[in-house]
Amino acid sequence: MRHRFLILGASLALALLFGAAAGHDWASPLKLASALSGASDMESRLLLVWRLPRVLAAALVGALLGLGGAIFQGVFRNPLAEPYLLGASGGAAIGATLALLVPLGLPGGPALAGLSFLGAWGATWLVLAVSGLHGRPDTAGLLLAGVAVAAMLGALRSFLMLALSDDSVNLQVVLSWTLGGIQTPDLAGLVLLTVLVLAGLLLSLSLARGLDLLGLGDEQAFAFGLDPVRFARRAVLVGAGIVAAAVAFGGLVAFVGLIAPHLARWWIGPRHRALMPASALIGAALVAFCDGIARAVLPPAEIPLGLVTALIGGPFFLLLLARRLRP
Amino acid sequence: MMRVACQGLGVSAGDTVLLDNVSLSFTAPALVGILGPNGAGKSTLLRLLAGYRKPDRGAVSWNGRPLSNWTATERGAACGYCPQQFEPAWNYAVAEIVRLGRDRRPGKAAPVEAILASNGLADLAARSWSQLSGGERARTMLAATLATKPPLVLADEPGASLDMRHRLALLERLKAYAGAALVIVVMHDLDLALRFCDRLVLLDGGRLAADRAAGLMLDDPVFTATFGLRLQAEPRRADRDWVIGLG
Repeated sequence: MRHRFLILGASLALALLFGAAAGHDWASPLKLASALSGASDMESRLLLVWRLPRVLAAALVGALLGLGGAIFQGVFRNPLAEPYLLGASGGAAIGATLALLVPLGLPGGPALAGLSFLGAWGATWLVLAVSGLHGRPDTAGLLLAGVAVAAMLGALRSFLMLALSDDSVNLQVVLSWTLGGIQTPDLAGLVLLTVLVLAGLLLSLSLARGLDLLGLGDEQAFAFGLDPVRFARRAVLVGAGIVAAAVAFGGLVAFVGLIAPHLARWWIGPRHRALMPASALIGAALVAFCDGIARAVLPPAEIPLGLVTALIGGPFFLLLLARRLRP
Repeated sequence: MMRVACQGLGVSAGDTVLLDNVSLSFTAPALVGILGPNGAGKSTLLRLLAGYRKPDRGAVSWNGRPLSNWTATERGAACGYCPQQFEPAWNYAVAEIVRLGRDRRPGKAAPVEAILASNGLADLAARSWSQLSGGERARTMLAATLATKPPLVLADEPGASLDMRHRLALLERLKAYAGAALVIVVMHDLDLALRFCDRLVLLDGGRLAADRAAGLMLDDPVFTATFGLRLQAEPRRADRDWVIGLG
């Protein structure tokens, strides 16, 4: 088990290195080392102040997506469940859109965080209510409910953007949000994001045993001393919080919440105590890597992170779906 | 000693009455069989007794305390409930499932390795669920259910997927366990029920048809009428395990 985590850690280190090197101007490992050791030339300063915080932010957002995805798959007991597919990310994006476009007279940061959370939570509950929580929601019903909710929320978000935009609001910010993209954070933002990831990890670990039991099915989980409905309610709350944090810092990033827990389960096994940190590490490595690609493929332009993850994750998802639908 | 009682239990699903005014009371030690034709309400009754399903009418109590007042953790510690259907979402290994059952009361239970060994599952410990036969799955679930030595066991057709020899071994095990606990089992094998159980509860169409000591059930006209069968009872030779009726 330990050497498997070491390999995950090494993969994350490689992804971070790639992320730090990739960009409009590729930085050699030597250059990175001199930037880290405090060289004062222009290029080193740019690397240190602009690129490295962004790479770290990407990894941290990826960790949140990995945790959120693992919780969603655990609650829905379905390896195809994902915050993005099930509309939770879309709900969070609606909250963020409202916070950005409507002059609510609220302080910006907390309003955005709170509304994102409410959006993610509400959307998840809608999917849960439609697909049914009891027993084990079947794949088709779950995905259909999720697709419908996600489509509705997407339309609502577009409408809000059209109806509420004027010269005074920054439509560009909202747009970049919907396509997914990591903003370069300042130090305070980076610290906040780190705290959120650590809190998310602790909360996820506190759900580990309950998610293990839920994986046995409602009735058997009940037999082993869990109140499945009550527990699922709590888990969805935590999952929505984590997804909201990921959306607030990285926008709508598709499929990472699907791939990370899936690879983690294959690599480390189904028990959630190990699955949570493994999924966070894989998510971090994936987003750090994809963010590097997003910055490096079409210089000097940057392609949205959400496009990169969707292009990589889409085929992965279809493969999984095909395997699952085959009798 | 464990006591389970229900009073005036009734459950409906839409227009169908699944269970109608069932009142029963059980005290440990006993092995109780719940019998009845298909659709008699056996599984529904067991779910109500376990607390998994809430009754529309009436109430269930354990040790005189209404079941609705028990927390999920207390319930899990006191009762080993074995549902009929079990299909895990993830491909857990045998040892992981046994651990999940054991950890509902970790202070009381033996280490996982010891539980696996005493259930003859040591060789299967690392085997994952999808690689197990029906019988191995049933044995895994029984080991996980009994791991904490619960004073109450509720099992819904635990022998359904077992061959004759394992089914016999299962009943012998439950019989021994019921020496110091209350074990209530939904069954379809009338011969095994008559042979092993202390007491039999007969359901028919959601109603309580009979509730007798096992020795008195066979001669009760209600018993044969409920199943719509004319039965022949033969004594089993002491050196034989089972009597097979030949056409």
